[in-house]
Amino acid sequence: MSFVVVENVGKTYSDQGSRTGAAVLRNVSARLGEGEFVCLMGPSGSGKSTLLTILGAMNHPSEGKVHIDGIDVYALSDERRADFRSEYLGFVFQQHHLMPYLNAIENVMLPLATLRLGAAEKRRRALAVLEKVGLAGKAARLPNQLSGGEQGRLAIARAIVNDPPLVLADEPTGTLDTKTGDEIMKVFLDLNARGQTIFMVTHNPANARLAHRTLHIRDGALAPESGCPRERTSRTPADGLDSELPALTIDGSGDFDSLSGKPFGD
Amino acid sequence: MRISTIAFANLKRRKGKALFLVAGIGIGIGTAVALLSLSGSLREEIGSQLDRFGANIVVTPHSDSLALEYGGIPVAGVAFDEHRLTNEDVAGVLRIPYRKRLSVIAPKLLGAVEVEGQKTLLAGVDFSSELRLKRWWRLTGRKPEAADDVLLGYEVARAVSAIEPLPSAAGQGRPNGEHHPASEERFRIAKERLIVAGREHRIAGVIGQTGGAEDRMVFASLGRVQDLLGKPGQLSVIEISALCKDCPIEDIVAQIRKELPHANASAIQQSVRARTEAVERLTRFSAAVSAVVLAIGALMVFTTMMSSVVERTREIGVLRAIGFRRTHIIKGLMIEVAVISVAGGVLGWAAGLLASRLALPYFTEAGAQIEVRASLALFAVAVALSTGMVSSVYPAIRASRLDPAEAMRHV
Repeated sequence: MSFVVVENVGKTYSDQGSRTGAAVLRNVSARLGEGEFVCLMGPSGSGKSTLLTILGAMNHPSEGKVHIDGIDVYALSDERRADFRSEYLGFVFQQHHLMPYLNAIENVMLPLATLRLGAAEKRRRALAVLEKVGLAGKAARLPNQLSGGEQGRLAIARAIVNDPPLVLADEPTGTLDTKTGDEIMKVFLDLNARGQTIFMVTHNPANARLAHRTLHIRDGALAPESGCPRERTSRTPADGLDSELPALTIDGSGDFDSLSGKPFGD
Repeated sequence: MRISTIAFANLKRRKGKALFLVAGIGIGIGTAVALLSLSGSLREEIGSQLDRFGANIVVTPHSDSLALEYGGIPVAGVAFDEHRLTNEDVAGVLRIPYRKRLSVIAPKLLGAVEVEGQKTLLAGVDFSSELRLKRWWRLTGRKPEAADDVLLGYEVARAVSAIEPLPSAAGQGRPNGEHHPASEERFRIAKERLIVAGREHRIAGVIGQTGGAEDRMVFASLGRVQDLLGKPGQLSVIEISALCKDCPIEDIVAQIRKELPHANASAIQQSVRARTEAVERLTRFSAAVSAVVLAIGALMVFTTMMSSVVERTREIGVLRAIGFRRTHIIKGLMIEVAVISVAGGVLGWAAGLLASRLALPYFTEAGAQIEVRASLALFAVAVALSTGMVSSVYPAIRASRLDPAEAMRHV
């Protein structure tokens, strides 16, 4: 069974002064399996970010449905959908969107702020994810005291501190140099290797090659997928990551049975 | 990490804006506090001045006939009184529960006598009380001390040629024989002695023209007049000035009536009404100015919060994206506003108190004071808090309604 099911989703933004709107997405269908790493590529204005925000339970589609873990996301009330985002989703934004006035550990703890957890438990969780992304020693630093790569890793730490089943990333390496971008991709691969489902929008074909599958979108419609999902064991830093980075050990335990293997969309 | 942590961190981050808002609310609250404190002190000042401004309670004997009027007050008993007031009644007035509120008790005996062949109203008074009660009298001469000392009203003094214009005043006299107002009297006493009711008295002084009944009266000591009129221990009227800033004067009157059932006690409504009206106008003025200043403060908070929401659109979008509910966004903003408002309220209270203390000497006589009242401090903080919160409701709701996907795109 697919963890994420997108069914015939369409999105039209209404133009001011016009009854007809601009269709940004048209009849998009896709599925993601649990533990899968899927990239979405497409030219600017093709609807990548719109699809990402629809998957992210924060942009109501004009038509179609989105089920995540069997939950019809847009049947939820606005407040319940906020709770859903808190519980199920982790976001990594292109420009990280870290709070400049909070230090690293406080930024990581942000998604925990609304939860009924003790201060010590929140801190323990935040430190654990900072450790995971290699920033444990920089917990007290403000974002502007961190390098671009460190900021990216901090953004990832914030996205996973709730231990969400699905991480959504919007061109997380888009503003970074190659080396720093590779550093970030290594973190994503590492997370995925531990079973984290990841859906990433990217312009970078090298990043896309590291994913199990790549979806292509053009003019609001998904292009038919070609070929089979790559074998996980084929993904190594040599596929695009900096050679200085440690090789990833990926056990290939992901459940691919749920993947249709067929192209989605029109 | 809690929502309040984010709110406090935001305040720290935007110190300038926070201080600007604190100052804005502080100025509004400070103005209100200063006006309220000043008007409170002015109210007391006006109250006590009006209380001092003559009698506000008059006690007269019960009578069916009215013979003469004194200062517009019907005075029974000059001719046909059946129930008489006596010196004992003064002691009776001093027995009422509100006796501490009575500032001056001025008993009088009135009678018509011959003064230099002219029928004149003679009043026997206790000069020390009378002069405290009639603060507007301008005396030429000295205060009466001896038993045979008398004070003459201006018209009486002129009629008996007891005064003559000063040479300078005569030279610069006003046209058409117009009289000088009392405060500018320019005459001197030209006579030392006067026959009143067949007995010789010394003219201690002359009361400057007041335009009132006293212009046509002669004042002598109470005992002397009781003796002259053959009415030992008797009184015609007791004038009372009650320090009645906040006390109900009608209660004092009721207590006097109870103590002196044979007498009429009544409040001089005109004086009471004037005082009440003056105080009410002052209070209304202060409230109106405070309301305007607070409304300006509220508008300032509103516009600043609106701009703050616009400025933080993307940040709010991020928070919404990572799972913050609308109510969490509202809560965060409201915590910020609450901190700013309380700080503004405390600052405004302190500044308003200081300002009113500095300004007080320009508005009141020496001796008036601004009290430090905890109730005013609480009021200031409560008003600041409610002003800040109410002004921020719309910006906060607007912030919470930001579409996260749209907000993330905001540049």
